[in-house]
Amino acid sequence: MSAWIDGMLLSGSDSEISLNVGEPISCALLREEVAQRQVVLESLGLKAGGSVALRLPPSLAYVANLLAAWRIGAQVSLLDHRLTAYEVDRALERLDPQVVVSAQGTIPGGLRAFYQVTDVAEAREGSPAATAHAVVQLSSGSTGPSKVIARTAQSLIEEIERYTKIDGVPKPGERVVLLASVVHVLGLVGGLLYCLHAGVELAIPERLTVDSILKLIAASDKPTSIIGVPFHIELLASVENPPALPQLKRMTTGGELVRAEVYQRFTDRYRVPLGNMYGMTEVGVIGTDLFGENRPSIMPAPGITVREDEGELLIAMPESPYIGLTDPTRWVDGWLRTKDAGTVSPQTGLVTVHGRLDSQVSVGGLKVDLTEVEHTLAALPGVQAAVVVYDGGIEAYAVVPDPDQAGEVEAALAQRLAAYKRPKVIHFVEQLPRTATGKLVRAQSVLKTAK
Amino acid sequence: MTREEVIAMLATYGDRTADQVRERIDSLELAWLIHQVEQRHGVVLDLDDDSLAEMSTVDGSLAVLNKVLTGG
Repeated sequence: MSAWIDGMLLSGSDSEISLNVGEPISCALLREEVAQRQVVLESLGLKAGGSVALRLPPSLAYVANLLAAWRIGAQVSLLDHRLTAYEVDRALERLDPQVVVSAQGTIPGGLRAFYQVTDVAEAREGSPAATAHAVVQLSSGSTGPSKVIARTAQSLIEEIERYTKIDGVPKPGERVVLLASVVHVLGLVGGLLYCLHAGVELAIPERLTVDSILKLIAASDKPTSIIGVPFHIELLASVENPPALPQLKRMTTGGELVRAEVYQRFTDRYRVPLGNMYGMTEVGVIGTDLFGENRPSIMPAPGITVREDEGELLIAMPESPYIGLTDPTRWVDGWLRTKDAGTVSPQTGLVTVHGRLDSQVSVGGLKVDLTEVEHTLAALPGVQAAVVVYDGGIEAYAVVPDPDQAGEVEAALAQRLAAYKRPKVIHFVEQLPRTATGKLVRAQSVLKTAK
Repeated sequence: MTREEVIAMLATYGDRTADQVRERIDSLELAWLIHQVEQRHGVVLDLDDDSLAEMSTVDGSLAVLNKVLTGG
């Protein structure tokens, strides 16, 4: 199943610009970078049916290793580079890859969308892929341990083909300015893989500042679409006098909708449609509203069937996207439960998403499971009980009887959870409010009175 | 620049009140803050990684901003 890489993703003419990451990367150069990584991975014994984990920030090295591993026919696990060493160790234990590719040295921080890194591949005593999936991602699970979500090459190919059938996606010869991460599904398939397939130049700003984003848009005459997360709409909408950007065609985001006034401000200031996409790591893109015509609803993408069951959205899927131990109710008889509340209009087929049914929240477009944060905090030495809630940011309430241990708790949490998952503030309280039956109270109004 | 000004600029992200702004600043708030400062002061801030790392709290941001805005 590895022929699709050359056939679908690396078939551009030599001089065509496929990526623009600080410098333009032609298709010929990208093929060379992929071939180099393939030699390295094969020299470490990676074969078809083998397994490799990529622990790389968004970079040319990430793209080249991903495509090289797929070309070999190996299964690739994607680990967010922001995970702590503790989280990475746990993930490697669980996934048991035969090769790990990581970045050499310290990765520079600070608002970067793209990194220049030197990648190092190392073999380990791992196991070959247990399944035929092409890509594996870990996602927070509401019951504590993370879910292992996997996609087959066929599922990725189908998603790329789905994109080509959606009215309003960038056309061959056009350009995408990608602000969302290429490690997560929207940026990976909707950005990277679709652009490589369609002959659309994928440009990523080095920094995620307004100045850097606007300069990158203005740097080319090619018709340009921006793909990002809701925060990027807020950020760009706040620019009082944006420069004239005649090449800008559209901005599209995944994730929750922005407030009506932000939507208005963005479309007034840039005079382009603000499109919306709905998708999941398990499925990829589910539906879109790329012209902002059906807001807040979306139309299911070609080939996707969505139905409503007692207020929850279900997606038709022939196979379970999960590997290993998982909640057996998530995928049943060809239907995936999204855990999103929503409705499907019987007249128009339009889908309206009303929000999460579980404890998952979105922090800048990254999904965080509050239960995972709460379990991790509560399991730290010195912590007697903890409640984690979301109120414009993640907040924790913790009972730590020994006041000397409070500082250590924050430090210990920082070792176990990636920065975006950590509470902005931990309130140390003597006791947590409980209901008459002894359950912890999660209502903010009550928690705020805890002493 | 004062601490109150930094908090007021952060509060405009997501329409928050000043007391909803937390001491710790995440990367989205940081991008927001830098843009607000650039707009208000008519400058482009070219901050290196060390400065950006220091700006992960309100106090840290205040220190960095006062240093770069006064050319110190």
